[in-house]
Amino acid sequence: MSGKSRRDFLKKSVAIGSVATGLSASTAKAGPKNILSEDRMGVLVDTTACVGCRNCEWACKDAHNLPAGNLDSYEDRKILETKRRPDQTALTVVNEYPHGKNSNLPVDVKVQCMHCDHPACVSACIVGAFSKQENGSVIWDTDMCIGCRYCMAACPFQIPAFEYDKAINPLIMKCDFCFNRTKDGKLPACVNICPVEALTCGPRHELIKIARNRIKRNPNRYVNHILGEYEVGGTSWMYLASKEFKELDFPDLGKNPAPGVSESIQHGIFAYFVPPVSLYALLGGIMWITKRRKELEEEEKI
Amino acid sequence: MKKIFAVIFVLFFTVGTYAQQSPGKDHAKLHINCVSCHTCGLPTKDEPCWVACPREKMITVYLKAEQTDELVIIDQANERFGPVYFSHRIHAQMSVMLGGCGNCHHHNTLEQILKCSKCHEPSRQRENIAILDLKGAYHRQCMECHREWSHETGCKSCHIPISEVKGSHKEESKKQLAGKVHPPVTEPTKIVYETNYEKGKFVTYYHDDHVKNFKLNCIDCHAQESCTKCHDVNNPSSDKLKLVKEKKSLEDHHKKCFSCHAKDDCAKCHLDKQVEQFNHEKRTGWALKKHHINLSCINCHGSKRPYQKLNNQCVSCHKNWKKETFKHYVTGLRLTEPHSELGCEDCHAGNDYSVKPGCNGCHENFVYPKQKPGILVGK
Ligand code: SF4
Ligand code: SF4
Ligand code: SF4
Repeated sequence: MSGKSRRDFLKKSVAIGSVATGLSASTAKAGPKNILSEDRMGVLVDTTACVGCRNCEWACKDAHNLPAGNLDSYEDRKILETKRRPDQTALTVVNEYPHGKNSNLPVDVKVQCMHCDHPACVSACIVGAFSKQENGSVIWDTDMCIGCRYCMAACPFQIPAFEYDKAINPLIMKCDFCFNRTKDGKLPACVNICPVEALTCGPRHELIKIARNRIKRNPNRYVNHILGEYEVGGTSWMYLASKEFKELDFPDLGKNPAPGVSESIQHGIFAYFVPPVSLYALLGGIMWITKRRKELEEEEKI
Repeated sequence: MKKIFAVIFVLFFTVGTYAQQSPGKDHAKLHINCVSCHTCGLPTKDEPCWVACPREKMITVYLKAEQTDELVIIDQANERFGPVYFSHRIHAQMSVMLGGCGNCHHHNTLEQILKCSKCHEPSRQRENIAILDLKGAYHRQCMECHREWSHETGCKSCHIPISEVKGSHKEESKKQLAGKVHPPVTEPTKIVYETNYEKGKFVTYYHDDHVKNFKLNCIDCHAQESCTKCHDVNNPSSDKLKLVKEKKSLEDHHKKCFSCHAKDDCAKCHLDKQVEQFNHEKRTGWALKKHHINLSCINCHGSKRPYQKLNNQCVSCHKNWKKETFKHYVTGLRLTEPHSELGCEDCHAGNDYSVKPGCNGCHENFVYPKQKPGILVGK
């Protein structure tokens, strides 16, 4: 751990300690890095165009050095019969739902991190490993991540996954908006491969205009709702669909940003559905942090 | 010198292609809504009153499916797949109910068929992301129907893997396609519905009356009707080619009619006998010709029902056709200077425009149209 990150870590450990002991969080709150650039990028996912070919799943794995297998094997549509969630082995997954406005077509929905404009994961992360970047992506620093899983509990879309299968140094995994590709001027891997360009990558404000125009020109195709335009304070990834989003397993979220752990941990747990496993992980995490804090305090005393 | 010619040629060509493409002389007779391109009711060569670009309304090419190429090779081969051998003609025949040529060749100015790549850029990383890139555009065109038809999304249903590409594909595809046709989707001329409505059992519907008088495109009524409208694709045990007959609720039966006839009462359509096809000349004594045949009823009669009888003086509709403001060239004849000074009734006796104009007020032995008071111009 470098000098700076160690200092940061100490500062945030104190913050968490104060939450855990019931002190006001605001005074000790860490200032997470959350750049909200005017020109931040985003992706418009048009689920009415998505054909559920799952090429994006393959490309995502391929770009992140995860075991991807043969692209041809993704043509098997059986897998779409069960609902899946993104996890540490697949940062994005495609699920299939019964038809929307066109009674002959199923609705296929690609799921990944929404890259929120006011990300709960960023404010939840006690070590400040998470950040919203200028280009819109919400990423995290693996060197700083301590695997506390606060982000998992805080995320309103239940996105971050934990490498439970790794014995040594298990860390958080999620879609990183292909940060390593975009910084070299390339498109995200999934956007690049999609045969029907169901994924349009561009400046967020432009995507909203495009989405509105599509709805206006094709009211028979879309429901009049751009998911992510306002939800949880806006997200960089947004969706169009031919049926209500709650029928596509999107949580019904308000327009206010989801609170992060460092703001109010209990609120975060009770206001949003959190699977028990994350809750235990979270509590375990708090214990671990508190213990670690004591250790550090002791270290400092010496 | 050669160079100059080359420059002029290039200049001409670029100007030519970027200027408004000529839609062809008889395009007014085509099945196109005039307001797709023009803002006024009577566009002329001199005053075409263009709709400002971008023209969002659909304009497209109109060809009979049989006139088109049997096989189109889409050669966008990449590291995974070879070119796609696309059976264009049979697809064109099948797409009639989906919007015909316009289903794929949308926003095509008339006549020349534009390549998809004219608007859809080959690179996904591009300036204008509002228009799909070429790969997305191609795939959407194909997949939207193919997904419905076979529920298949596998690449190999259209693409040949690069390892299997061989030289003889073209010949083989040609052989396969030779003589393959989709039976024509015919328009009914008259449909008589026998209903359970006691006060008026019969609804007589003249299909082409509606299409012509109201300038309808197939998709205006038959929206989103793809192959599955007629073919049963959801029953895997049945032969897909078996035609399905839709069972419709009372509400669905009326839905299409109500989109225009919402305010009409039942007796407008439900009568106790079949009705004859409407004929403007027979009913009113005034035959619709030239421009008027292209108008829909409300253009002249207004939307108030029942329609009022109009007199046949031009000025009763063309209120601004006064001596001072009337531009004679809209009739197709531009008056020479001295003639344009005259009053209307000097040639059109009694302001009756339904009869031939006379010249004998000034000229002896002049007969219209043998002698003309001006030159003919394109309308
Ligand atoms: S979706 Fe979840 S993980 Fe992604 S940015 Fe929002 S809060 Fe963070
Ligand atoms: S943006 Fe990158 S990391 Fe995110 S789903 Fe697409 S390919 Fe995966
Ligand atoms: S690659 Fe595109 S079309 Fe295929 S599943 Fe992913 S988003 Fe849908």
